Amino acid sequence: MTTRRSFLKTSFGTSAVVSLGTTAPRFLLRACGADANPAGENILVVIQLSGGNDGLNTIAPFREEVYRRARPVLAVRSEDALKIDDSLGFHPAAQGLSDLLENNCLAIVQGVGYPNPNRSHFESMDIWHTCRRKTSIRKDGWLGRFLDVSQQGKAINLPAIHLGHEQQPLALASQEIRVPSVTSLRKFRLTESSQKMRQTIAQIGRGASSGDDLLGFVQTSTGSALSASEQIEVASGNYSTDITYPDSGLAQKLKTVAQLIDSGLQTRIYYVTLDGFDTHSRQAPVHAALLKELSSALDSFVRDLDEHGHGNRVLTMAFSEFGRRLKENASEGTDHGAAAPVFLAGQGVKPGLHGKQPAVHDLDDGDVKFHTDFRHVYATVLDGWLGVASASILGDTYTPVPALKS
Amino acid sequence: MSNDIMAVDPGWAWAPFEPSAEQPWNRRRAAHLCRRAGFGATSEELDRIVKTDPTDFVASVIRQATAAAQIDPAADALATAMLATGNSKNLAAWWLYRMLNSQWPGDNAPSHSPLLEKLALFWHGHFATGADKVDDVEMMFDQNRLLRRHAVGDLGTMVLEISRNPAMLVYLDSATNRKAHPNENFAREIMELFCLGEGNYSERDIQELARCFTGWEVRRNSFRFNRFQHDTGSKSILGETGAFGGEEGIAVVLKQKALPRFIVGKLIRFFMFDEPSAPEQLVEPLAQLLRRSDLQIGPVIERILASNLFHSSFAVGRKVRSPVELGIGLLRCLHGSSNLELVARGLDEIGQAVFYPPNVKGWDGGRSWINTSTLLGRSNLVGEILRHDKTRFAGQSLESLATRYGVASPPKLIEWLDELFLAAPLGTRAKQELVEFAAQTSGNSSRRIAELIHTLSTVPQFHLA
Repeated sequence: MTTRRSFLKTSFGTSAVVSLGTTAPRFLLRACGADANPAGENILVVIQLSGGNDGLNTIAPFREEVYRRARPVLAVRSEDALKIDDSLGFHPAAQGLSDLLENNCLAIVQGVGYPNPNRSHFESMDIWHTCRRKTSIRKDGWLGRFLDVSQQGKAINLPAIHLGHEQQPLALASQEIRVPSVTSLRKFRLTESSQKMRQTIAQIGRGASSGDDLLGFVQTSTGSALSASEQIEVASGNYSTDITYPDSGLAQKLKTVAQLIDSGLQTRIYYVTLDGFDTHSRQAPVHAALLKELSSALDSFVRDLDEHGHGNRVLTMAFSEFGRRLKENASEGTDHGAAAPVFLAGQGVKPGLHGKQPAVHDLDDGDVKFHTDFRHVYATVLDGWLGVASASILGDTYTPVPALKS
Repeated sequence: MSNDIMAVDPGWAWAPFEPSAEQPWNRRRAAHLCRRAGFGATSEELDRIVKTDPTDFVASVIRQATAAAQIDPAADALATAMLATGNSKNLAAWWLYRMLNSQWPGDNAPSHSPLLEKLALFWHGHFATGADKVDDVEMMFDQNRLLRRHAVGDLGTMVLEISRNPAMLVYLDSATNRKAHPNENFAREIMELFCLGEGNYSERDIQELARCFTGWEVRRNSFRFNRFQHDTGSKSILGETGAFGGEEGIAVVLKQKALPRFIVGKLIRFFMFDEPSAPEQLVEPLAQLLRRSDLQIGPVIERILASNLFHSSFAVGRKVRSPVELGIGLLRCLHGSSNLELVARGLDEIGQAVFYPPNVKGWDGGRSWINTSTLLGRSNLVGEILRHDKTRFAGQSLESLATRYGVASPPKLIEWLDELFLAAPLGTRAKQELVEFAAQTSGNSSRRIAELIHTLSTVPQFHLA
């Protein structure tokens, strides 16, 4: 179990290397504990598509008359779709996803949702993050519980990292561990602070109680922050890749993830967000731009990992809190819906479509019905990829979706 | 007194705080009140406030806010200058200036009210609207005027006006609302985030309320009702049926029992404690007060700020300092002035850009302010503000400020800062560490004081309000 105390110890244990700055050679990093993920343990990267991705225009049922009639402005036309099979195709902006599928690196789980769907962004996202409804206590998230289970008995430095400017997703909330949120590697450090100042802060933190109250929370978070900033400072040396990432926010975040993976941190979970999917009005250009950003960033990332020899141990999962209504609205947009596809990318996937196809003529209050509970997808990731028993994390037994190579 | 909030007697909780020998009305309690009702107080102000009766002081703070709410900031020269730049980021600096230059009531001339600025920030987070999507600084300013006008006044009028507010309608994609395909976004947020809270309505209620708003439009940056696009049919919302328009639809929502409970719950969280959620028996008396006073907000705020519960261990130090409270509070308590555009950018880095809330839910606050990045960023921002060449303290240096208050020696300075800034006081050992730290710093006196304050701002206690 990693406690505040051990974080603080690490904090000073690594300080000798910090002075070497960003040029610390790899052997020194190993010597100070930031060893290359020794067992070659599998890594999960989560991409959260915030706002409710329009699944019906991401994987479009272009042949369906019902779909075309419900969306006179927005429907993806047959001649534009990047065909997956005779009836389904990617949105034309999702070329990268199509390429990943072509290279056997993309699995699509169709119709993912949960019973009695909640159409509030916040409530539905909380359900995806915690696997719990509002009536239960939700102090931790599914990945946070994974961290608590996998940390038992060993202190892993930086078991998970959230990259991004937004608030940390509840999925990463854990009972034991404060997951760092990193906005940029460059800013993730105390500037203008003397070593004396750091020592004074650590000394003051050391004597204090670390209960579960607000002060205890801030105390453990401060210890984690000091320690994590030093480790990441060491790990963020120069990174070179032959892959040209697009100049988008998501692409730059994924490039940073690739860099951190290659630097040999022990981190097993990386979490990034792409926001803007709440397309209530003038959806067409906005959604196309988002799908392009997602698909080209993901394609570059997967190729980069392959090039650096990490392709077989990194799985990326992209999900959204809900899909969107079948029928478009008067503002040339779509309102909140329910079921939507989840994407799994990497060399470890069984490529292609999985799960029952949602039928556009069989609706539940205007939305396509879900057929795969999202917890089955989580079970796939937990049991089949991260190698832990999913039942204790998910609160029940869920059969994995056969979307990974066995 | 029990440590269990569930066991607190509501009668005691909401009764006015009466100073006693065990619970004196002192500088530390006054500092707590000023942190919550505004952005802190200077040492001089604390001395003045402790000479007044706490209940009378709260009443004067409410009167001051009520009067200030009637003054339209459109006449403010700084606002005019910032609007002329066309950039909402500059408008943020204008607002920070008002927060920083607000004065507690006393014998001084009328000025900006700390409570009004604090409440406007609360409502900005409640009726969250983001300037990046609205993309019009005048619209954002108009919404800010609206929030000030009603911040301490009539909740019903505020909800109705915000529903016709161009910035809000643009933000929630409701600038066009046609009867053939009503847009549900705005109707959903009225129920979920503005008035009732999740679980107090059905999906059908949202769809029906959305029909009431058909024909509501924004044209040339103004609200307009387009009767040709209004669905005149009958609607059923929350058990009431009629050919409702938007106003009637909102009136139905405002009548719900859930409304005062939802708003009071949020006010308790904002002014008193981040966690846990206030139990029902504590919410209920204030919810009844809000309903009885026809949704007037002032009496509820007054009851909160003057209460026993407010001065109890359930509230003191039970909030995480928001970024605005951190940045503005730092300057405010030290008679500071600085480059507020820089401060506004810095607050953005640590999670609170005013006029740019993260989404329609506003800022979650509480523990969500704190993560590794924001903790490093908070410390870095304090250091940057203290060292910036435009930063002044009472127009001069930190050294002259410390001398003026007779706290130039490190032990005295640490005691003074502890009382001024910290809701959760430092222990003896922590103070000793800081004294030793101060002894090791070098440079001129102002620089050494700045380093000490910078270090103090990185200590966990500093992040609690």
